[in-house]
Amino acid sequence: MDEGQLSRGTKAWWWVAGIAVIVYALFPVAWIVSLSFKTPSDLANLQFLPTNWVWDNYDNILVGDAQNLFLSALRNSVGISLIATFISVVLATFAAYAIARLDFPGKRLILTTALAVAIFPVISIVTPLFNLWRNIGLYDTWPGLIIPYLSLTLPISIWTLSAFFRQIPWELEQAAQVDGATTWQAFRKVIVPLATPGVFTTAIISFFIAWNDFVYGISLTSTEAARPVPAALAFFTGASQFEEPTGAIAAAAVVVTIPVVILVLLFQRRIVSGLTQGAVKG
Amino acid sequence: MRRRTVSVAAATVLLTALAACGSDETTPTLTWYINPDNGGQVELARRCTEAADGAYRIETSLLPREASAQREQLARRLAANDSSIDIISLDPPFIPELAEAGFLAEIPDDVAEAVTENVVQGAIDGATWRDQLVAVPFWANTQLLWYRKSVAQAAGLDPENEPVTWEQLIAAAQSQDKYLGVQGIRAEALTVWINALVASAGGEILDNPEAPADQVQLGLESDAGQAAAQIIEDIARNGLGGPGLANQDENGAMLQFQGDRGSFMVNWPFVWAATLAGVEAGNLDQSLVDDIGWALYPAVAEGEESRPPYGGISLGIGAFSEHTDLAIEAAQCIVTPENQAYYMVTNGNPASNTEAYDDPEVQETFPMADLIRESLEAAAPRPQTPYYNEVSTGLQNTWHPPSSVTPDSSPEDATTLITEVLKGERLL
Amino acid sequence: MSTTQAAAGEVSGAAGDGRDGGRVPLSDRARAERRLGWWLAGPAFVVMLLVTAYPILQAFYESLFKYRLTDPDAREFTWLNNYVVVLSDSIWWRAVGVTVLITVITVAVEAVLGFALALVMHRALTTLRPILRTAILIPYAIITVVSAFAWFYAFSIDSGFVNSWFNWLPGISEDTNWFGEFGTSVFVIIASEIWKTTPFISLLLLAGLAQVPEDLQEAAKVDGATWWQRLYKVTIPNMKAAIMVALLFRTLDAFRIFDNVFIMTQGANNTEVVSFLAYRQTISRLEIGLGSAVSVLLFLCVVLISFLFIKLFKVDLASARGER
Repeated sequence: MDEGQLSRGTKAWWWVAGIAVIVYALFPVAWIVSLSFKTPSDLANLQFLPTNWVWDNYDNILVGDAQNLFLSALRNSVGISLIATFISVVLATFAAYAIARLDFPGKRLILTTALAVAIFPVISIVTPLFNLWRNIGLYDTWPGLIIPYLSLTLPISIWTLSAFFRQIPWELEQAAQVDGATTWQAFRKVIVPLATPGVFTTAIISFFIAWNDFVYGISLTSTEAARPVPAALAFFTGASQFEEPTGAIAAAAVVVTIPVVILVLLFQRRIVSGLTQGAVKG
Repeated sequence: MRRRTVSVAAATVLLTALAACGSDETTPTLTWYINPDNGGQVELARRCTEAADGAYRIETSLLPREASAQREQLARRLAANDSSIDIISLDPPFIPELAEAGFLAEIPDDVAEAVTENVVQGAIDGATWRDQLVAVPFWANTQLLWYRKSVAQAAGLDPENEPVTWEQLIAAAQSQDKYLGVQGIRAEALTVWINALVASAGGEILDNPEAPADQVQLGLESDAGQAAAQIIEDIARNGLGGPGLANQDENGAMLQFQGDRGSFMVNWPFVWAATLAGVEAGNLDQSLVDDIGWALYPAVAEGEESRPPYGGISLGIGAFSEHTDLAIEAAQCIVTPENQAYYMVTNGNPASNTEAYDDPEVQETFPMADLIRESLEAAAPRPQTPYYNEVSTGLQNTWHPPSSVTPDSSPEDATTLITEVLKGERLL
Repeated sequence: MSTTQAAAGEVSGAAGDGRDGGRVPLSDRARAERRLGWWLAGPAFVVMLLVTAYPILQAFYESLFKYRLTDPDAREFTWLNNYVVVLSDSIWWRAVGVTVLITVITVAVEAVLGFALALVMHRALTTLRPILRTAILIPYAIITVVSAFAWFYAFSIDSGFVNSWFNWLPGISEDTNWFGEFGTSVFVIIASEIWKTTPFISLLLLAGLAQVPEDLQEAAKVDGATWWQRLYKVTIPNMKAAIMVALLFRTLDAFRIFDNVFIMTQGANNTEVVSFLAYRQTISRLEIGLGSAVSVLLFLCVVLISFLFIKLFKVDLASARGER
C-alpha cells in the first residue's frame, strides 16, 4: 500500500486504531507496575495510581524479608528455563533438520507425536511425574523441572524450526555436496549460518514458554532449591499471616516481566516471524 | 533405591548447611519447616541454635501461605518418607491426618507433660490425637469481637461488660446502617467461622471425628447447625457483611472495619498490630485506634457462653527424621514461655503458654492480652479428623456464597456431600 | 500457552509429501539417509515420548486403584470404579460445562478481536507497525500468572480501580463484587485469558493475511466490491487454513485453562474447570486414584476435540497445502 496516497483523515484513523491497540496491550501491565509502587494501606485506595510512589515493595523482595524467597526463585526460574530452552533447541534443531531435509520413514510419526505432546494437558501428567520423581530423587530439583519443561518447549521448537528450515535454499547444500562435502559437512558449513536466526528465534519462544510455567512449578517443587517464580508468588506474606501480600506480588510480577519486555523490544521482528512462520507457509 | 535417595537428600541438606555456615562438621542440622511470618521463627531458630551450643543447628525452610497448601506440601513430602523434615510448624486441623498416617514422631510422655504445663486447653486439645500428644503447642490463636466504640454506644451495646449475641450485632448493624466484619470467602476462614458458630450453639460439625472415613457422622443437621446457618443467612441476605462478603477474608474484613462503615468484627488479634502499623505509616488516624474496643467472641444464644475459633501453630516432629531426639529437644527450646512472649510481641501471634502473658512487654503491646488468654481457654478446635481437608472443603463448597445459605438446606447439603465424598462416591 | 501454531499444517504437509516412499529398492545413499534421519530426530522423539506417554500410562494404571497418598496401606484395585464415580458425578459435568463455556466464549471473542488486530497491523502505517508489533507481543510473552494477578487486583473490591472508573455503567457500582458470583467471576477470568492470548491468534491471522494475493483484492476492487464484500469473498476464504489452525490450537489451549482460575477464584462460585478438578483431587486431596481418573478423562477430552477439528477441517488443510 502506498502511504503517500492516504488522505489526512484516513491517516488519523490509523493512528487512533494503533493507539487503541497499544493501550489494549499495555494497560494491565501499567496497572501492575502502578500497584507495585503503592504502600500497603494505599493498596485499598481503589485508584489506578498510588498516592505516594514508594519503592518499599521492591525493597522487600530484593533486599528485605522476602529476598531469600524471591531471589532464589528468580535464580531457579532463570537457570531452569535457560537449560530447558537450550536442550530443547539442540534436540529440535537435529530433528527439524531431518524432517525438513531427509527422507526417512517415520517423519510423519514424529510430527504427529509433537502435535500430541503439545496438546497434552499438563495437569494429567503431573501426578505420575510427582510419584516417579519422589522415587528416583528428582523431586524438588532442577532436572525435575527441566525434564517436564521439555514437553512444553520441544514440540514448538520442532515446528518452528522445521518451518524455518524449509525456507532455507537447500540447493546450496546440494552444491556443497557436489563439491565433495559429506552431508554432515554440508550441514555444518552451509546450513548452520543460514539457520542460526531461526534457531535463535526458536530459543526465545521456548524460553517464554518455560518461563511461563506454573503447574509443574507448584507441583514438583517444595523448597527454595527449585521453586520457580510463578510458584513462589503464593509464598509471599503480608506483615502477618493474614495480611495480603499484594504489594510484594505486584513487585515480583514486575521484576519477572522485565526480561520478557527486554526480549520483546530487542527481537520483536524475529519473534513475530518465528510465531507466524509455520502456520501458513509451512 | 528409596534409602539411597533419602541419604543423598540428607547429605545434600547437610552439605548446603555446612557450605553456608562453614561450622563444625559434627553438628547435626535440623530443618524446621515454617509457615510464613514476620521473621519471628527464623529468629527463634537462631536463638535455639545458639542455646544448643553445638548440639544441633536449626535451619528454616518456608511453607506456602495458605494452610491448606502447607498441608499439601508436607503430606506429599512425608508420604515420600522425607528425612529432611525434622520440625514442622503445623496448623492444628491437619495434625490428625499426619498423625494417623504415621508421619509424626511420637512425643515421649515426660516431654508431653513438660510442654503442656500452663498451656491453654484449646492448644493441648488441638495437638492431641487419639489421647496422645502428637505435637508441641507453640502459639495459639483465637478470634475476638472487635468493635467501634462509637457504633456500639449508638446502638446501646456494651460488649466489654455484657456479652453480646450475634442477634444483637445483626440488629445493631442494621439500625446503624453499618457492616459486620465476618469472613465469607470460600477458604479456611469460612470453616473457622462456621465451626465457631456451630460450637457456640452447642453443637459439633462431626459427631465422631475419630471414625474411619465411611463411618463419619455429621452433626450439622441439628439445632446448632441450623442456628449457625440462620446467622449466616441473616447477615448475608441483609447485605450486612458488605458487598464483598463472598470473598472477604480476614484482611478484607479488617479493611472494612477500619473504614467508615465498620462496626463489629470477629477477627484474629493481628488486626490490632496491623491497625497500629497503619497509624504509624500515616494512613490511618489515631482516632480510629481510640475508637476500637474488644470483647469475647459473640454468643449464639443469650446467656450461653461462646466458643471462639482456635488456630495457631504446633510443632510436629517428622517421623523420618534422623535426629528425632534432637528435634524434640529443639522444639522444647522454641516453645519456652520467653520465646513465646518474644514471638507474640514481635510477630503478633499469641502464646499458647499462659506464663507468657505475664510478660510486661506482652501486656504493653497487647492491652487485650488477658482477654486473648481467656478466649483461648474457651476456644473450640475445628473437627479433629484425618479427613479434615474433605470436611472443610465440603463445607466451603456447600455454604458458599454466604447469601445462598439457609437453615433448611445448607446443613443437609453439606452432610450429604461430605458423607458421600468420604465414602469415595463423589468428587470434591 | 501458545505452543502449537504450526502443527496441523505440518502434519498435512508431511502426509502429502509423498517423498517418504520406500516402494522402490533403496540405494545405499537412501539407506544412510534414513539412518541419519533417525539419528537426528530420534532423541527428540524419545524425549517427547518419555515425558508424556509414560506418565499418562502410569496415570491410567493408577486410576484403577483406590489410593490415597496419606493412607497407602488401604490401596486397593477397583477396576474402573473411579471412572464410574467421576462420570456419575454432577460436579464433573458442571466442570466440563464451565470449561466448554469458557472455551467457546474465549475462542469466539479472540477470533474476532484477533482478526481486527491483524487487520490493523497488516494495514498499519510503516511507522506504526514495529510499535504495534512490540506492544502486541507483551501480552503474549507475559507470564499467565502475572496477567491473572493484574486482572484480579484490577477488579477486586479491595484494591481495584475498575469499580470507581466504571461506576457510570449500569450494573457497576462501587460495591460490585466481581468475584462474588458466577457470571462476573467468569467474565474476569475470560477477560484475562483473552487479553493474554489474543495476540497469538492475531499473529497467526496476520501471517494468513499476508498470503491473500493482492491482485485478487485489486480485481475485486475494480469490480466494485465494497470493503465488506472483499473481506467475505476474497480475504477470509483465502486464509481459511490459517484461521482453522489458529482456532484449533486456541481451543485446545483454552480447554486446559488452569492458571487464571487458580489465582482468581480457586474454583469458587462454580468456576471450577476440568484441570482444576484434577488438581484438587490429586494435589489437594491426595486421592491419587480418583485424580488420575479425572486426568485421564481430561486427556481423552482433548484428544476428542482435536479429532473432531481435524476430521471437520481436513478439506481446508488440504486446500491450504495446494497453495504452496
